[in-house]
Amino acid sequence: MVKITIDGEEIEVEEGKTILQAALTVGREVPHYCYHPGLSIAGNCRMCLVEVEKMPKLAIGCYTPVADGMVVHTENERVKQAREAVMEFLLINHPLDCPICDQAGECHLQDYAVEYGTGDSRYVEPKLSLAKAVDIGPHVLLDQERCIQCSRCTRFCDEITKTGELAFFQRGNKTQIGLYPGKQLDNPYSGNVADICPVGALTLKEFRFQTRVWYLKNTPTICAGCARGCNIVLGTGTQNVQFTSPGQFDDRIKRIVPRANEAVNGHWICDEGRLSFQRLYVTERAKTAQSPAGSDVEWEPALEQAAERLRAAAASGRAAAILSPRLTVENLFAWRELLAGLGKLRTAVRRIERGRDDEILIRADKGADSQGARWLFGEATGEQAVLEAIARGEVDTLLLVGDPLDPDDTPVLDDATRGKLTDLIHVGPFRSAAAAQATSLLPCASWSEEDGHLVNFQGRVQRVSRARRPRGEGRPGWRVAAELAQAAGLTWPAWASHADVFRAAAKAVSQLDGIDPEDVGLLGVMGKIDEAAAV
Amino acid sequence: MAEKVLTRNIDKEHSESIAVYEAGGGYRALRKAVTSMTPEAVTEEVKSSGLRGRGGAGFPTGLKWSFMPKQVDPERPHYLLNNADESEPGTFKDRLLMEQDPHLCIEGSLIASYAIRASTCYIYIRGEFVHPADVLDRAIAEAYDKGYAGKNILGSGWDCDVIVHRGAGAYICGEETALMSSLEGDRGYPRLKPPFPAQRGVWGRPTTINNVETLACTPFIIERGADWFSSIGKDKKNTGPKLYCMSGHLKRPGVYEADMGTPLMELIHEHAGGMLHDDRPLKACIPGGSSVPVLTAEECQVDMDFDSLAAVGSMLGSAGVMVMDSSTCMVKALHRIAYFYAHESCGQCTPCRQGCRWIETILRRMLDGGGRPEDVDLLHDVADNIEGNTICALGEAMAWPAKSFVKKFRPEFEALARPAVRTGA
Repeated sequence: MVKITIDGEEIEVEEGKTILQAALTVGREVPHYCYHPGLSIAGNCRMCLVEVEKMPKLAIGCYTPVADGMVVHTENERVKQAREAVMEFLLINHPLDCPICDQAGECHLQDYAVEYGTGDSRYVEPKLSLAKAVDIGPHVLLDQERCIQCSRCTRFCDEITKTGELAFFQRGNKTQIGLYPGKQLDNPYSGNVADICPVGALTLKEFRFQTRVWYLKNTPTICAGCARGCNIVLGTGTQNVQFTSPGQFDDRIKRIVPRANEAVNGHWICDEGRLSFQRLYVTERAKTAQSPAGSDVEWEPALEQAAERLRAAAASGRAAAILSPRLTVENLFAWRELLAGLGKLRTAVRRIERGRDDEILIRADKGADSQGARWLFGEATGEQAVLEAIARGEVDTLLLVGDPLDPDDTPVLDDATRGKLTDLIHVGPFRSAAAAQATSLLPCASWSEEDGHLVNFQGRVQRVSRARRPRGEGRPGWRVAAELAQAAGLTWPAWASHADVFRAAAKAVSQLDGIDPEDVGLLGVMGKIDEAAAV
Repeated sequence: MAEKVLTRNIDKEHSESIAVYEAGGGYRALRKAVTSMTPEAVTEEVKSSGLRGRGGAGFPTGLKWSFMPKQVDPERPHYLLNNADESEPGTFKDRLLMEQDPHLCIEGSLIASYAIRASTCYIYIRGEFVHPADVLDRAIAEAYDKGYAGKNILGSGWDCDVIVHRGAGAYICGEETALMSSLEGDRGYPRLKPPFPAQRGVWGRPTTINNVETLACTPFIIERGADWFSSIGKDKKNTGPKLYCMSGHLKRPGVYEADMGTPLMELIHEHAGGMLHDDRPLKACIPGGSSVPVLTAEECQVDMDFDSLAAVGSMLGSAGVMVMDSSTCMVKALHRIAYFYAHESCGQCTPCRQGCRWIETILRRMLDGGGRPEDVDLLHDVADNIEGNTICALGEAMAWPAKSFVKKFRPEFEALARPAVRTGA
């Protein structure tokens, strides 16, 4: 540890930290563009210039390491003048098209112009006129006029994905970001460049013109796309839908951006995860319950019929269940308790595997909670074994708890297998092809509509949050399980919230022992697992 | 006139050939160094000679060499870079040496390589220098044939390769860290310092980088001794022979060898033949290449060495002396300089990328008749906002001339700081 003084405040910081990092530890932001904690230091924007006593020139805070006894000024006249100068330089060729720029509202250039700019410009020359809305890849558009040449995007492509599609071309004030000839920015992580772009130069096609960012409701949660469990912020709409359905609230998901968690995803997410929310909108949502007769019915009679058939089949040993590996710990635990209460059911948790693990984030295992499922069910009977039991005629009633994220990840039975079932009870958020096969359909909340916890492949228990209401009569899966249990006449604990369910699970499952939902926090906690087995 | 040292060969026929070079005593210094001196002794000799870098900054050469690790880690070989990217406007001395006396450049490079225990020496030459690069390549082949370069040089057991690397013609690649980036195959961007090249240079390995003329001095220091070298020049801190690039309104522009510390007026009037037109007196002079502050005619009563020029607020720089007579429009002259730096700014850091072009644009507008009263102060302000805030010295290379031109010739700028075309009465 070394002692330094920042703006008169003496602080102790770890050796090797930079002035900018040291300032952050005491809550002082040294303004910066090119510095990004997940990338190498470029030192090119010159916004973080600070005065260090005994140094002749101003020093860049992002690169200058702290030293014992260092006296730093981040707010004095000299620093202020340098910042104003850098702001003026950055803005002379900036198009100032904030009213039509997606970055407006979360733009470093805007924010610092307000905080550190002079408010007017001495620049009377014509501005550079450059290409706008350049299509550089499947997800990203480039606006050359807005670019401030901070090099975050080129460093990302060089250092993180190591795909190196982007580089600087030309020189001087004509310096421009560009693609190498014949290349496209189409690596699996390309969307991150739009996040790290401090201005509106790189924007995500899927988010362009969807909403102004200040209308977003931002919910910290976990991506359910794969077993990595990247930490994300979910942005949902909050505006009234004026023209199509007056009075209605547009609470659709507008975007997913990564949330830093060094232990899980660093600062990044993959494009598939970033756009995974689109899967929620490809199929009509199940909003009302369906009875074995096939028509929409009230929730109560549908629930009672389903419970009765499940109870009867379980009693005669002819029932089975298939669960999605993306269900929260709470939901999995509630289903486990229900199935245990009903008798010995053949229970399978699906395995969804696609592609392969890569060196960055993506996991082949697409089950966001497959680790949690292993903790709760052990190495459960495979889905194939259940289907074979159905084919052999040993099972005639199936409880299928569908995927909360992607309707295509819930199994559709082939006609022969379906023909062997007298009852298929489907609990899920979609009116998908799988749901169409069901005799009873009980809608439940999708991902983003309920609170709970997911366990990633490392064994980290992470909080997934509700960002909006479930559709129609949908409710969290553990409530559906509870209602089914009560309708089937089982004794059932009085759970009031997902936290109660989690606490019950923590008592029953050794790996969750001692973990309270209050303690999970934004960055999650590791489950109690054998150190050697931890990834 | 003093003895010619650096330019002793250039008037000889086939001065670029190894035969002529050897006949004049060439490669004796290299033999002396590698067969009878330790690398430390070579460094010490250069240190006590008082030799300072001829590329611009004037850093003591022997001191720079002494920053290199004393032992070579086999995983981290040492490199010597001979900076032949001579691109500063008004500077053309290295080109003369490379074209006319390439073996002097090679011998100097090898002596320095030996002193810093380098196993590879790159001569990074600017792309436009097609002919000098060819001359050097032929000379290097001759040196290999004679055993001056390559394996087991002169039986000393020391190996060193000499490689000419041609740049692509960017001014910024003469900046030492940008040169390294370029040599590695990257965009020629200057790097943040520290680490300094002696710690982490090219490919992250210990590296020393010297100017062509600096290295060309070293064979003489080794052969004739530090005391002889330091006896030339003005004082113990400004020693040795020096090449001066005389250009502008002169009767005989060209490269002239004279002692360090020769008076500027002597260079103008005795070496370069005086002012071009007898009726047009000296108005201003840039003493060290376009990036250093300009001198007024009165300030030209100065000796051409590092410390004398620093005392009058300018620099010896690369000794590119640009002489301007009374017919010169200082706004136009500054515009030409600004145009160069705006074009050559690498674009990496904000103040230089935007500021150089801004200065150029203001000057162009003033020259085009669109000047405004506030432009004079704006020029000074923009330059001031660049100075000290950039990654490398190119920011200062724009800011210093801009500030000194405006300060010293303000009435000329003010005369253009109003619209040429007026409306109304």
